[in-house]
Amino acid sequence: MKPFRHINVPGVAEAVDYLNKFPGSSRLIAGGTDLLGVLKDDILPAYPELLINIKAIPGLDYLREDENGLSIGALVKLAFLARSPLVREKYKVLADAARSVGTPQLRNMATVGGNLGQETRCWYYRYPHGIGGRIQCQRKGSGPCLAVGGDNRYHVIMGGKGCFAACPSDLATALAALEGSIKTEGAGGGRIISIGEFFHPLGNALKAGEMIVELQVPPLPAGSRQHWLKYTLREPVDFAVVSVAVLTVLEAGICREARIALGAVAPGPLRALQAEQFLKGKEPIPEVLQEAAVLAVQGAKPLSKNGYKVEIARVLVLRALEASFAGHK
Amino acid sequence: MKENGLLLMVNGQSYEFKIGTGPGEVSPSHTLARTLREDLGLTGTKVGCNKGECGACTVLLEGTPVLSCLTLTVECNGKRVTTIEGLEDPETGELDPVQQSFLESGAFQCGFCTPGMIMTVKALLGDMPAPTELEIKEALSGHYCRCISHYHVLDAVGRAIGKRG
Ligand SMILES: Cc1cc2nc3c(=O)[nH]c(=O)nc-3n(C[C@@H](O)[C@@H](O)[C@H](O)COP(=O)(O)OP(=O)(O)OC[C@H]3O[C@@H](n4cnc5c(N)ncnc54)[C@H](O)[C@@H]3O)c2cc1C
Ligand code: FES
Ligand code: FES
Repeated sequence: MKPFRHINVPGVAEAVDYLNKFPGSSRLIAGGTDLLGVLKDDILPAYPELLINIKAIPGLDYLREDENGLSIGALVKLAFLARSPLVREKYKVLADAARSVGTPQLRNMATVGGNLGQETRCWYYRYPHGIGGRIQCQRKGSGPCLAVGGDNRYHVIMGGKGCFAACPSDLATALAALEGSIKTEGAGGGRIISIGEFFHPLGNALKAGEMIVELQVPPLPAGSRQHWLKYTLREPVDFAVVSVAVLTVLEAGICREARIALGAVAPGPLRALQAEQFLKGKEPIPEVLQEAAVLAVQGAKPLSKNGYKVEIARVLVLRALEASFAGHK
Repeated sequence: MKENGLLLMVNGQSYEFKIGTGPGEVSPSHTLARTLREDLGLTGTKVGCNKGECGACTVLLEGTPVLSCLTLTVECNGKRVTTIEGLEDPETGELDPVQQSFLESGAFQCGFCTPGMIMTVKALLGDMPAPTELEIKEALSGHYCRCISHYHVLDAVGRAIGKRG
């Protein structure tokens, strides 16, 4: 790795301070599981001068539940989230998504804040500088998106614009089904960004000098059930080809609420709103679920080599809905 | 902990480093894997992929398995690190039961993945007295073995559990 300066900060205020003192040339480091890969491969046109270590900030690794729902401090480790009895019981998709990330050692290191802040895995974007030079692209600020005419088998099938890289974060998909949001702190104070607004085709909504301090999940609809599915080539280590998180409410045999979030198919997690609307007020019989799954991928615009993801997404939605409704027994 | 300095506790011994870019100094951009191997000569910890995928570089940080290729040494100041070299009895040289079990089960061919696997198993058996086969597989799911020794590894873990009676 090329050299950088490194500083440990004692609190959020100091972290934000440093970010603002070194705009564009500093980076936060939490678990480092994504950032150090990015730095080793030297993919960024601007290599950071300063890493701001937030790992040792005390009290930012809390898990709290009250009448406003669940709050998760940015430094909570994925291993902790995956094992938490509270999360496993009530916020199942979140625990399952956390458990599906990488490997046990990675989950021992990785934080929830870093999971949302991580960079895309597009292989053009991540192409190592050391092997024949850095590849420029739209996301890096110059040139077109190379996935369009290149090998795009893992890229988006919906919502791409300028850049067609997929959102790699599994927690984002789960949070979308739970209608969660992200609390930040910045120089001008904090704000709350809903998960649906956080990712955009070229990156995320964080402003320079802003950091994630908390993930928030509002109270769940009474009697709701959830289900998480992630399709990968191998079970451990791999990123999602497609992931799905669903939440359902069934009353007297009728679907009252359905939330379907798709991951790795778009620049951010995507809610299948049309399919959700279709399900409401209906009995979740097989034909209805099949129709909902078709609606969930309607409008997909696959690239040259990723049409297969549309079919995987449809099947995962169907299976996740079946499992979630079967849970209402 | 020291300003501009670094204290590492590796396998029960303390090591002090200066943070800097001179010879023998630890630069902020050095990974723990590099410090262990190149500054401390503890080459039992292997570096396979150097990007978090293979598990060969696994060491215990405060008892928890982590990837030393994705850990900055400067972030281990004041922390306890255990590597494969730290498992044998320092006085008698007797191997740890987990190491002994790997030997007896022939749980490797080239042995490149073995130190990492053993560190994970060591932590697993510290947390759980009698993990199920599923729990063992889950714990080891972050370790690649190119020589396909996985079945022998499961056998070795079973043997290690047995040794504890
Ligand atoms: C082999 C491998 C497999 C993986 N598989 C998966 C997978 O299946 N699913 C998945 O979702 N991820 C996967 N990952 C990505 C993994 O790195 C993230 O999931 C992890 O959660 C990142 O957290 P971290 O704390 O290590 O982040 P870091 O590496 O410390 O940070 C990542 C980025 O986020 C920024 N950041 C960190 N914390 C904050 C904060 N509080 N506020 C604002 N910005 C912040 C950093 O500046 C950096 O740019 C994988 C990674 C590897 C190496
Ligand atoms: S060398 Fe660290 S995970 Fe492969
Ligand atoms: S024994 Fe050769 S890699 Fe596992």
